[in-house]
Amino acid sequence: MTAPAPSALLQARGLCRSFGGVRAVHDITFEMPTGTVFAIIGPNGAGKSTLLNLLSGVLRPDAGTVAFGGADLTDTPAHRRVRHGIARTFQKIRLFKQLSAHDNVVAGCHVHCAIPAWQYVVHGRAFAQNQARCRDEAARLLAFMGLGGRAQVAAGALSYGERRMLEIARALATAPRLLMLDEPAAGLNAGEVEALVDRLQTLRQNGLAVLVVEHNMDLVMTIANRVLVIDYGQPLFEGPPAAVQAHPGVIAAYLGEAR
Amino acid sequence: MSSAQASEPRRAASAPLRLRRAAYLVAALAIALLPYIFTGAYWRTNLIVCALNVMLAIGLDFVLGYAGQLNLGQSAFYGIGAYAATLLAMRLGLPFWIAFAGAVALAGLAGVVLSLFAMRLRGHYLAIASLGFAVITYQVLLNWISLTQGPLGIYAIPPPPALVLPGLPKIDFHDLAHLFHLVAGFALLSYFVLDQLVRSPIGETLTAIREDEVPAAALGINCAAWKVFAFGVGSAVAGAAGGFYAGFVGTLVPDAFFITESFTILAMVVVGGMGSLIGPAAGAILLTVLPELLRGIGDLRLVVYGAALTLVVLFLPGGLLQAARLGVARLMRPDKPR
Repeated sequence: MTAPAPSALLQARGLCRSFGGVRAVHDITFEMPTGTVFAIIGPNGAGKSTLLNLLSGVLRPDAGTVAFGGADLTDTPAHRRVRHGIARTFQKIRLFKQLSAHDNVVAGCHVHCAIPAWQYVVHGRAFAQNQARCRDEAARLLAFMGLGGRAQVAAGALSYGERRMLEIARALATAPRLLMLDEPAAGLNAGEVEALVDRLQTLRQNGLAVLVVEHNMDLVMTIANRVLVIDYGQPLFEGPPAAVQAHPGVIAAYLGEAR
Repeated sequence: MSSAQASEPRRAASAPLRLRRAAYLVAALAIALLPYIFTGAYWRTNLIVCALNVMLAIGLDFVLGYAGQLNLGQSAFYGIGAYAATLLAMRLGLPFWIAFAGAVALAGLAGVVLSLFAMRLRGHYLAIASLGFAVITYQVLLNWISLTQGPLGIYAIPPPPALVLPGLPKIDFHDLAHLFHLVAGFALLSYFVLDQLVRSPIGETLTAIREDEVPAAALGINCAAWKVFAFGVGSAVAGAAGGFYAGFVGTLVPDAFFITESFTILAMVVVGGMGSLIGPAAGAILLTVLPELLRGIGDLRLVVYGAALTLVVLFLPGGLLQAARLGVARLMRPDKPR
């Protein structure tokens, strides 16, 4: 591996996190440059979601550091990491079920809302401009994720695949530099996965870095620039997708060893 | 909730601006005329109680219906407002309106302090903690006799001082009609401020926290700070109601702020429909007027009142607001009954 490139967007150094006696994540180090898709794969219980929670700030690491865009975010709470440009979705979909699809996305727009405090009570011109900005942004993102016609439906009433897409639209509303997706293809049919891959590629072309935790190997092999394999909370291998498929340790971790 | 309702999202910002302006105008007109329609002291008193309860209910709804924090301490904030306004005026000799502002600030501060202590609690645990706060406040009011005169109460509290505007006759608040105009006007102002807040990004922020705090934080929302904010605002509105209560009743005893008051306010919010402001306001008026209308049937009124509450909660989990919406939807589509 090369020395830390100055262009690295996200840097994780020696991340550790235990739950009681279980070492969910142990000494994981990696970095990802901007404008790439970075995949994290591993068997169930390997610590992928814990790693994502450490990166997004839902959990604090026992040891190690997280740096993003040159800033050390290790002790930064989750809500403030969003301001730095980190957005995420959840493995178990966590939408605001009683709000419409539109309002879910609008809730994500407000992180960059900068209107004078008094305009929250006396709605003036800046307020109206901000509301219009949020409305347009939400409509654009819903259309991009293929939900243009479902804007006024309650999130809880959307189909499973639509909910996955809505979670991504909501995350994009925070105008991130890094989008972290926790198993975005879980539960999607083949057509929906294809649409997802399409959109992720568009996002990458627009300069967004995407970190994806995924079990769907087709998706990973199609879009990932680099793959990190973890097992029992430890890094097993990191490299381009083609090398991962050939790596004996990875095959052993997934399929068991030949005797 | 049934799946049929779940497809209808909860939306606050549906009414167009022009309609809302007209509604405020109608409300202001109603406030101006009501005490001249109900001229007896008995009904004018009830009108003022309605206005106070509207403030208490919409203040609680801001915390419960929007931010989703089950707060059973509203009776304490009400009491803190009432005692603070009275004691600041009587002990320190402050003018009424300064004492009133102090009472609003103190009640808001109490809400902030409670929410800071209860930061890690939610749902039932927050309900118990806030109920505990209400019990403690009641006990302090009851037992700090050197300050509050405890169960003996404070007597002969004057109403707000007369308002003298140049070129207009003096407005004396010993007159219940004028006092109603003042209190209801303030209730309308509170409603306006809360309504503006929930129609701003703050509304979506609080609702996101109510729905799920983890993804809310993932959207950059500082859940802890916004919960403190909601508590501060909700209890400040309750404090304002308390500030008027003292001058209106003229007597303060701790029993007026016993914890059952918290549950009465909660019932108003639930019956009206949480998560909107118009619902709890209507609920507050209904649950104030209904027991009075039922006085004719003696003690049976408590049974009828209790049964009505139970029926609403059982069959209209969205409260009166849901009933109104269903009614409107049915009127719009007469051919297709749901």
